[in-house]
Amino acid sequence: FRFKDSLAADLQSADLVISHAGAGSCLETLEKGKPLIVVINDKLMDNHQLELAKQLHRDGYVLYCNCSTLVETLQSMDLTALKPFPPGQPEKFASFLDKALGLQ
Amino acid sequence: AGGHTTEILRLLSCLSESYSPRHYVLADSDKMSEAKIRSFEQKRAETFSESQFSLDRIPRSREVRQSWISSVVTTLYSTLYSLPLTYKRKPDLILCNGPGTCVPICLSAFLLGLLRIKRTIIVYVESICRVETLSLSGKILYYFSDYFIVQWPDLKKKYPKSVYLGRIV
Repeated sequence: FRFKDSLAADLQSADLVISHAGAGSCLETLEKGKPLIVVINDKLMDNHQLELAKQLHRDGYVLYCNCSTLVETLQSMDLTALKPFPPGQPEKFASFLDKALGLQ
Repeated sequence: AGGHTTEILRLLSCLSESYSPRHYVLADSDKMSEAKIRSFEQKRAETFSESQFSLDRIPRSREVRQSWISSVVTTLYSTLYSLPLTYKRKPDLILCNGPGTCVPICLSAFLLGLLRIKRTIIVYVESICRVETLSLSGKILYYFSDYFIVQWPDLKKKYPKSVYLGRIV
């Protein structure tokens, strides 16, 4: 499929997701609690896109590889080692803003 | 645009109705955000029936990887273009999270503040994608915003005037 409006249904039924390092893809997948392998394309990518993928890997939420090591990663992966991804907390933002603006 | 829109709608999700009416500003070339915004506002209206919002478009201030010099020119153009809009809305608060579109809006509000026409509080939330480095919009608005929020501790260390609340989207 080229561009679906939403991958939510596909994500829901997947057991494993292999994705590029786009933030939207990574976060959407992690929030659905699906194991994720992020594939980095060194040649195409903007350096800054790597930051999030690297950090998520450092924190133990995703596996990480490049195109040439993908097969090897798939063969040796241990998905149980991945940590569950806690959701973001927009309520902290709301609370901060209310206080900052004197709206409490 | 895209990821920015998703993030900003999440930021808005917990805000009370004090933050109303909401005026959304999009780049003229942005095709997908409008639908997301309308959907968000529609859902919101189910809980808060008096909910109000509007949508405006401004020329896109910068294409990806556009050269530095031409970016200054196009951003200046977008800033001037935004002035009548910002003047009309006279927002109490501007909330933005990094697309190029936000720079002209914030600059126009800052200008109106300097001219004592309207003092707007500018709150900038850097995208969750930014772990170690700031976006270009962030680097600029770090100096113009009243509150600059980052979502990763490395950035808080590098930009001490920023606020760190953890992951908020």
